[in-house]
Order: sequence, then structure tokens, then C-alpha cells
Amino acid sequence: MLALLLVLLAAVLAGVAPRLMARLVSFRRAPRAALVAWQAVSLAAVLAALSAAPAALSYLTELQTGRWVVLGLAAAVTLLVLGRLLLSGHRIGTRLRAARTRHRELVDVLATPEPVTQGERRADGIRVLDHATPTAYCLPGRRSRVVLTQGALAALPSDQLDAVLAHERAHLRGRHDLLIEYFTVLHHSVPGPVRSPEALREVRLLVEALADRAAVRASSPLATARALMALAQGQAPLATLGAGGDGTTAARMRLLAADPMPPVVVAGMYAYAGAVLVLPLALLWLAWR
Amino acid sequence: MPHTSSAPRLGDLERTLMEQLWDSAAHRPDGASVREVLEALPAERGLAYTTVMTVLDRLSKKGLVTRERDGRAWRYTPAGTRESLTAETMRATLDDASDRRATLLHFLDGATPEELDDLRAALSEVEQRRG
Repeated sequence: MLALLLVLLAAVLAGVAPRLMARLVSFRRAPRAALVAWQAVSLAAVLAALSAAPAALSYLTELQTGRWVVLGLAAAVTLLVLGRLLLSGHRIGTRLRAARTRHRELVDVLATPEPVTQGERRADGIRVLDHATPTAYCLPGRRSRVVLTQGALAALPSDQLDAVLAHERAHLRGRHDLLIEYFTVLHHSVPGPVRSPEALREVRLLVEALADRAAVRASSPLATARALMALAQGQAPLATLGAGGDGTTAARMRLLAADPMPPVVVAGMYAYAGAVLVLPLALLWLAWR
Repeated sequence: MPHTSSAPRLGDLERTLMEQLWDSAAHRPDGASVREVLEALPAERGLAYTTVMTVLDRLSKKGLVTRERDGRAWRYTPAGTRESLTAETMRATLDDASDRRATLLHFLDGATPEELDDLRAALSEVEQRRG
């Protein structure tokens, strides 16, 4: 029965928990703790699904027909999840790396490495694309790049530019790309009926909120907010291409106005993450005890 | 990100040669040979023929230049004008069709004109509380 419980736990953690957690918008005020909680929930879901078959195997010693059904179901869930994880992990990873390599090769011949002054010191390694649309992004990976357009340099006064650069550097330093890749892979691995788009959307927002905190430290909440506004305005004519429209930018802006989360709540969020992660492991341990 | 000493130099060379090819594309529509590229470069760069050949070969493997045989040598042509390749790069950063959101990490995920009003309201909230 513990095997069935693990299957149920996997479904709840993948399908129900994300929907509930996405509603707790105030958790966004502690983006780091919230990201830990999201990772714990997703990892626990995977662990639960992968433990189902091993847990069912534990009582194969007493052979009864009912138990064969449980074993069959648990094995099917485990193998399905494992297979889908490996497959979408491989597919998404390959596609992302190919797209990044192509993009980096283009940027390296098109964009000039421009020394941009950030605060007191010169910030090296920033590439400037000769284009009027203001945009700023980074290419993650081993050979990372921070890219700005001439339009962005023209639109941003120096304190706002500091905010933007600090934001992008925080993405690179924290390897936020791996976090997003992990949740993208999970998103595509979870079978349709239990999949919840909330997780991926919320994680994307939290990663931005986390990088915004680095931006605030390098400049100020106001400069960060104004940089968001300036770039959003500059890109609006192009947003019809499909980018944007999910309200993340406004949500980030509101977080810049919000007060930080009380430490007690943050501690509670970490405790929740730990407890969730222990759950599937405890069930697996019980099955084999 | 730490750079090895050779990687950025090779990148600089690639950009220099691409710029050379773009600049000469107007009067050399059939592309340029390694010799012609080398001769157009300022002499003080002191590049060897083989270096230019290697870099052009790398660029063609990356699909940034195309090459065509001309007798015993190759003639190299940029795969697109600087403007068209810049447009391709910008498209990759702004349109949502591909895995844009996972490929690159943006400062901003774009905002529709309707969203701008919402943003303005949020900005004035920040201005009041943090200004």
C-alpha cells in the first residue's frame, strides 16, 4: 500500500501543491526561500514517483495476485516518469544548448565588446548590439555573455544601467538558467493530466525577483523600477510578437515596493521545504523497514 | 566568467574578419579570397595567411560565411548582411515562438501596450514608498 501512497503523493505534489503554492503570492517577497520550496516540492514529486516501484518490490516476498497489480502500477508510474524525464531532459537540453551556441556566435561577430562604466569601476565583457530597440539579456553557460543594445544604453541613465547589469550578472552567477531548465524539463515530463503550468511560471517570476534584489543592492528600488519601465516602454511596439502579456513585469514592480518578509515566515518556508522532501524518503524507508 | 587568453582573441579576429567581409561585400559581390581579406587588413595586425584561413574556415563552419571554390582557393561571402543578421539576433531575443524564455535570461519579458498602464501604476507605487 505504501507504493500506492507514493504514487498518490507524486500526483499531489505535481498537480495540487503547485496550484496552492502559486496562490501564496506574498511568498514572492522571499524569492530565495520560495525557490527552495519549489525545488523541494518538485524534487519530492520526482522522488515519490521513482520510489513507487522499489517500494512495491519490497513485498514481492509474499506473492499474492493483488500485490502483483500494485507492483505493475507502481512500476508503470516509475518507468513512465523516469523515461519521460530522461527523454525531455535530453531533448530540451540539446535544443537549448544549440540555440545558445548559435546566438552566441551571432553576438560575438555582431556586437562590440564595450567597456561600460558601472558605478565607479568599468564593467568589462558587455556586448553591445547595434539596434535601436532597448533590450538587455544574458546568454548563460560556460561562455556566458551579457548583451545590451544601443537602444538600451540610450534609454538608461547610469543608475538604471547599474541595476540592469547587476540583474543580469545575478542570473549568471546564480546559474538561474539551470533552475529554469530543470523546471522546464519537469514541466514536459509530468503527464498532461497532473501537469500544472503554475510551477514553471512562478519559478520564472521568482528567479527574476531574486535577480531584482541584486539590482536593488547595486542601485535602488526606484532605479530598478524605472529601468523596468523604460525597457518595457521601449519594447512595447514589438511586444505584439508574443513576448510579455503574462503580467510578470508588473508583479516584479510591485515586489520592489513591498516590504521584506518577516524572518519567522522565511524560516517557516524553509521548514516546509525540508518536510516535503522528507515525506517520500520516509515512505520508502517504511516500505523497506 | 574567467576567459582563457586565446578565446577572446579568436573572437576578436572573427569579428574583424566579418567586418572586413561586410565592408568589402559592396565591391566584391562574389566574395573575397583569403589573400584579399589579408591584404585589406591593416598591416600592423601582422596576421599570417594561415591564421586568416583558419578563422574564415571557423566562420564558415558556424554558418556565418558561405564559401565557394574558385580554382584552387575558396571565396568567402558573409551569410547575411550585418543588418539581416542583427535582425535575426533580435528576433531570437524578442519573439516567443521558440524556447526564448529558457535560452536567454532577459531583464524584461516584454510588456504589451495594455500592460504598460498597469506598470505605470505600479511604478508610482514604488515612487511613493521607496522614492
